[in-house]
Amino acid sequence: MRAMIVKEFRELRRDHRTMAMLFALPIVLLVVFGYAANFTIDSISTQVVGPHADQVATLLPPLFDVQGTDPGATADDARGLVRDDVADVVLDTSTSPPTAYVDGSSLFVAQTASAALGRAGDQVLTEVLFNPDLTTSWVMVPALVGLILTFVGTIITSIGLVRERQTGTLEQLAVMPLRPADVIVGKIAPYFLLASFDMLVVTLLGVWIFGVPFNGNPALFALAAATFLFVVLGVGVLISTASQTQGQAIQVALMTLMPQILLSGFIFPLQAMPAAISWIGYCLPLTWFVKVSQGIMLRGAGLDSLWPALVVLAAMAVLVFSAAVLRFRRDLAPARRTTARTAEPVSA
Amino acid sequence: MTELVRVAAVTRRFGDQVAVDDVSLSVESGEIVGLLGANGAGKTTLIRMLLGLTATDAGELRLLGEAPSRSTRRRVGYVAQGLGLYDDLTVRENLAFAASAYGHPTPPVPADLVPVADTLVGAIGLGRQRRLAFTVALAHSPALLVLDEPTSGVDPLARARLWDRVHARADAGVGVLVTTHYMSEAQQCDRLVLMSRGRVVATGSEAEITASTTAVAVDAASWQEAFTVLDGAGLPVMLAGRSVRVAAVPRERVEAVLRDAGLDARVRDVAATLEEVMVALDTDRVRVA
Repeated sequence: MRAMIVKEFRELRRDHRTMAMLFALPIVLLVVFGYAANFTIDSISTQVVGPHADQVATLLPPLFDVQGTDPGATADDARGLVRDDVADVVLDTSTSPPTAYVDGSSLFVAQTASAALGRAGDQVLTEVLFNPDLTTSWVMVPALVGLILTFVGTIITSIGLVRERQTGTLEQLAVMPLRPADVIVGKIAPYFLLASFDMLVVTLLGVWIFGVPFNGNPALFALAAATFLFVVLGVGVLISTASQTQGQAIQVALMTLMPQILLSGFIFPLQAMPAAISWIGYCLPLTWFVKVSQGIMLRGAGLDSLWPALVVLAAMAVLVFSAAVLRFRRDLAPARRTTARTAEPVSA
Repeated sequence: MTELVRVAAVTRRFGDQVAVDDVSLSVESGEIVGLLGANGAGKTTLIRMLLGLTATDAGELRLLGEAPSRSTRRRVGYVAQGLGLYDDLTVRENLAFAASAYGHPTPPVPADLVPVADTLVGAIGLGRQRRLAFTVALAHSPALLVLDEPTSGVDPLARARLWDRVHARADAGVGVLVTTHYMSEAQQCDRLVLMSRGRVVATGSEAEITASTTAVAVDAASWQEAFTVLDGAGLPVMLAGRSVRVAAVPRERVEAVLRDAGLDARVRDVAATLEEVMVALDTDRVRVA
């Protein structure tokens, strides 16, 4: 038994990935997630509209972070500001008492805002938009679509690609008269289609089983999902190029998946995180897809308000997918330098 | 005959390690060239460079008259050491995929593979897998066949059949470059290239290569003692059954070492084997180094 234990420690000491998972990762996870794991909302982005906007804005408690006032705006404008994610709460002072429109797609923010507004009694009328009963599944399902796409795109794709390397068939593909682009597209297209099918099924089941509304444009949703898929597929391909075995690929893929689950605003609200941690969240693709999917499905938001998130996703897709294709291509056609050299005369 | 492969003074390093050192060789149509050497001799690296899978650091490579490229590889059949088959596809599906990749119609499943045509490749024996890999490599009628350790792990009968097929293709004009570490397979090749520690140490037919080296056989009452004494004297000593053999060392020198150790043994000149030539050449290189 002693020999086994010694052998195991020796093996572990030389397995840098596992050592990282054993020591570095827990510390990082504890620090990052310790700060991130916070449901308490300290600040709610607020807009105040209507004729008494400036006056009412000064009376609001500090929880409501007033970011702008517009005395000329109407009730429709107020709803539009919530739909377009300009603010989580918009207070309309054109009614008596004033009406607070709360974004129900930001669950914890809406719960905090409703509780605070409720303490004001009949001095303010509260209307929760897009998720009036603050149903958790309505908020979770659009985010789960992104998580499932991430799972398929990153883990399944990286495993599938590493299998080629592990079994030696990648070398055979490199010898065949296939262009690297043929191999890359041929390998990735099935996962793209399968993930798209998964997305469709999960979305339809979410709507059918959990009654999640789909208020926005399905074509815009499909575009966002396809863009997001390119990012996560790219991450999967990148992982495969840095892994020799399927076990290694799963290890690394899980390391990329966990922060996305915990820091994307999917479970813990980004508004409740310290700035440094929330910035990590903003670097993750799932964060932006959750914004888009919740915006389209729950708020019926359109391209005019979602374009920043879509642009970020598109930029990530171009960056990550290009890097992935270049690295994968290097594995397939490593001898481009050779071709150039072999054309040179031999100086022997 | 057409020159299919030309390797001229090619070198490849991995860090400080020189995997292939100033190697030259050629393969012509209808010729079987055997690349022989122990594991780590540089055979596989050389083949990978030839196929354009690994970059060279120096030298010139010509595959079918051109620098290795996708278009030249189209006319090459390659069986990798790991076979490069898909375990999760059936025999028929593997054949169909490879043929499709080369833009050829799917060839019929060979008669000896018909019983397992719809079986997953991962579930069939290694001999049949090698047979399939060979069929896949030939499916697009290549001008050059590159086989990396094609008989590794194959039983003697299957090995003989595989060599029959290699000869049949060579007779049809296909050039064959085959690597093996089985010296006994050398006689299957028209020409041999012996590699050791990344360098070509001998070329020619088996007879030509072995003719340049002599060996002596030592029959002693205690072969263990004889072996220990000769090995201790730094001679390239090998065992053949219970007979101790020393390659590329004059008989008188062997006799002197044994005599000095007080060992009574019969020492006679014998024809050197390829393996002994390899050991002798390798020992020379170590001495030079």
